[in-house]
Amino acid sequence: MHRVFRNKTAIFLFVFPGMLLFALTFLAPIVLSGYYSLTDTLGPGTKVTMVGLDNYTNLLFHDSKFWLALRNAVLLGIGFIVIQHPICIFFAVLLDRIGGKAEKVFRTIFFIPCVISVVVISKMWLSLLDPTFGLVNKVLDVLGLDMLKHAWLGESSTALGSMLFILIWAGFGWGLLFYYAGVKGIPEDLYEAAQLDGASGLKLHWRITVPLLSPVITVQVTLAMITALKQMETVFLTTNGGPGDSTQFLAVYLYNKAFSASQYGYANAISILFIVVCLIATYLSNRLTRSDATEY
Amino acid sequence: MVKHSKWARASILTLAIASVGALSACGGSNSSNTASDGGSGGDSGSGKVTLRFFSNLPDRKSGQGLAEQTVIDHYMAENPNVKIDVETLAEEPFKNKLKAYMSSNEPLDITMVHGGAELNTLVQAGYVRELDPKEYEGEKYNFLPGVYKSFSFNGKLYGLPRNSDYEVIYYNKKLFEDNGVKVPTTFTELLDAAKAFRDKGIAPMSINGKDLWSFGEMFQNVVQRYSGDQNLILDAVDKKKKFTEDENFLKAAQFLQQLRDVKMFQDSFMTADYGASQNLFTQGKAAMWYMGSWEAGMATNESLPEDFRNNLGVIQFPVAEDGKGKIDDLLAWNGGGYALVSSSKHPEEAKKFFDYLMSADQWAKTAWDTGAAVPAQKYELTGKESEVQKTLTDILVNATSTAGASFIDYGTPKYKDDTQNAFGKFFSSNEKPEQLLADLQAAADSQ
Repeated sequence: MHRVFRNKTAIFLFVFPGMLLFALTFLAPIVLSGYYSLTDTLGPGTKVTMVGLDNYTNLLFHDSKFWLALRNAVLLGIGFIVIQHPICIFFAVLLDRIGGKAEKVFRTIFFIPCVISVVVISKMWLSLLDPTFGLVNKVLDVLGLDMLKHAWLGESSTALGSMLFILIWAGFGWGLLFYYAGVKGIPEDLYEAAQLDGASGLKLHWRITVPLLSPVITVQVTLAMITALKQMETVFLTTNGGPGDSTQFLAVYLYNKAFSASQYGYANAISILFIVVCLIATYLSNRLTRSDATEY
Repeated sequence: MVKHSKWARASILTLAIASVGALSACGGSNSSNTASDGGSGGDSGSGKVTLRFFSNLPDRKSGQGLAEQTVIDHYMAENPNVKIDVETLAEEPFKNKLKAYMSSNEPLDITMVHGGAELNTLVQAGYVRELDPKEYEGEKYNFLPGVYKSFSFNGKLYGLPRNSDYEVIYYNKKLFEDNGVKVPTTFTELLDAAKAFRDKGIAPMSINGKDLWSFGEMFQNVVQRYSGDQNLILDAVDKKKKFTEDENFLKAAQFLQQLRDVKMFQDSFMTADYGASQNLFTQGKAAMWYMGSWEAGMATNESLPEDFRNNLGVIQFPVAEDGKGKIDDLLAWNGGGYALVSSSKHPEEAKKFFDYLMSADQWAKTAWDTGAAVPAQKYELTGKESEVQKTLTDILVNATSTAGASFIDYGTPKYKDDTQNAFGKFFSSNEKPEQLLADLQAAADSQ
């Protein structure tokens, strides 16, 4: 066996199919995209004229929508990290402490939004937030808080906030599951030892749980940034970037440029910058949250 | 604790598998089910041909979808060796998927197309076949004069129109009567109606604001009502006139501002797509619906409440008191149609079916007889028409002038996108009319 693994030809044979698949499904499209991003084509098959870096200069220096879309994505990422994740950790610890039957029941309940199809979630929130027939406004009515009523997803002032809320809500279950698994992996004797040393309550979790969750947090922060940047389906199905451009996100903008405006070359330029932004975000979040792995 | 760590291992393992699943799902496989039985391979032995038909009419039980399906069923009954696979998507997803099909040169046989900008892209990609207009002259097809305008590029024809499309206002007679509101014929009356309905807590007019294009049609309607000139706005797209200079544009934009200020449209109009805006109207929650003649089928659609169908009325777009446009000037064009796909695997069979579909006694007759739409071909009155159909026919027959094209489709796809977004921005904010015109001008300049 060892001989086989030391044989260079064997290694090559084993690795090659995977590499080939990677090259065909990841690298080739990116290279092709890079090529199209230098043209002003309306789509594959139409006339291709090279325009050099025009698409990129337009994007970076003359396209406020691109920056708006990027800003919204970053806001969403921050929303995930600052709002969603602390709540997830809190509930993960709660779940772990509750124990017994209740633990299983709540675990299931919290994960339900992740099992529902994105289309259903989008349509559900559209009706919940409907200005005339939606539950949210009806409840406000009943509570006598009429002045707080809004066409939530239909007004420029509230659309982005509502959208972030929906996305944070929808992603809650996944975050919870990751942190819950992390919490479950922390050995009980550490807590016992800490309790003997006099730590309790919040302090116990702040000193023991959170530090020991750091590998999970690192992964989660990276994933959150990428999820935020890649956000597409819910926005597309609810507001399609509107009203105006208030909920414009990169992927939706890219899609509309390619398929509604037939600016295929331009859309490819967006997608290349999109990749660059994702790589930078991953690198940064890895750098910022890097910590030594904890062994126990 | 042993119990805990077992749990942890199990959870992490599940997570790992689940996340791999989730990540790979992001890639999104786009294989179409209908593609697998595309037909040329296995079926060819028995001489059976399967044609792929792509349509924007998902509802096959009523209206235009039913008419389309009826013709398809007729053809399959008459030609047992031909099977027609129908794939349908709603309007906006349809447009996008057709472009995706274009990109991958998918071997569809016949597809629905939108004339103007959308079709232009398909033509440039060589995805649709050129047609010979001579073949479609004469009694068999009976096309009305001038209907090829949105389907011809550089003097060549690439598709045939299926309808005479024109913008009207559908209204709910009962809501108007019960609330003592006058059916509007002028802009002032339209604004008064909006205020009256708002006071009663009823949405005055439903519109598909998420799709944006209806705003464009309405603007074109309003501009014509002020200028009395159908060509003014088309000239502006062609850069022969300027949106920012002609005062008719300013008046029109100011009127749109008034519509916005009196809350003419339903509260959720910016998130309402086609279906949502229609539902609001058909459920009697909105007094009017701004839409085109292709919705004639509502009057005969049995899945809609009978009470609604009996109270459905149609009016022409009102006129401006201080404008030159007349009520009989019609914003009409030929938008929807069918085309043959050049990557078809059965070009001859596809053409045969296409010709059958476009014969005056098939699509045109079926669509008219079922009350689904007003065809772009000559049709005969049967005497069984619904009230809505008769009114729609009158509106078309009595039109003193027609636009011939919808201005948002008169430029490039980019122009359409930019223009639509300008309207979206205008209607969802407190933007000034001047800014709207500046945006429209910028869109025309940069196309």
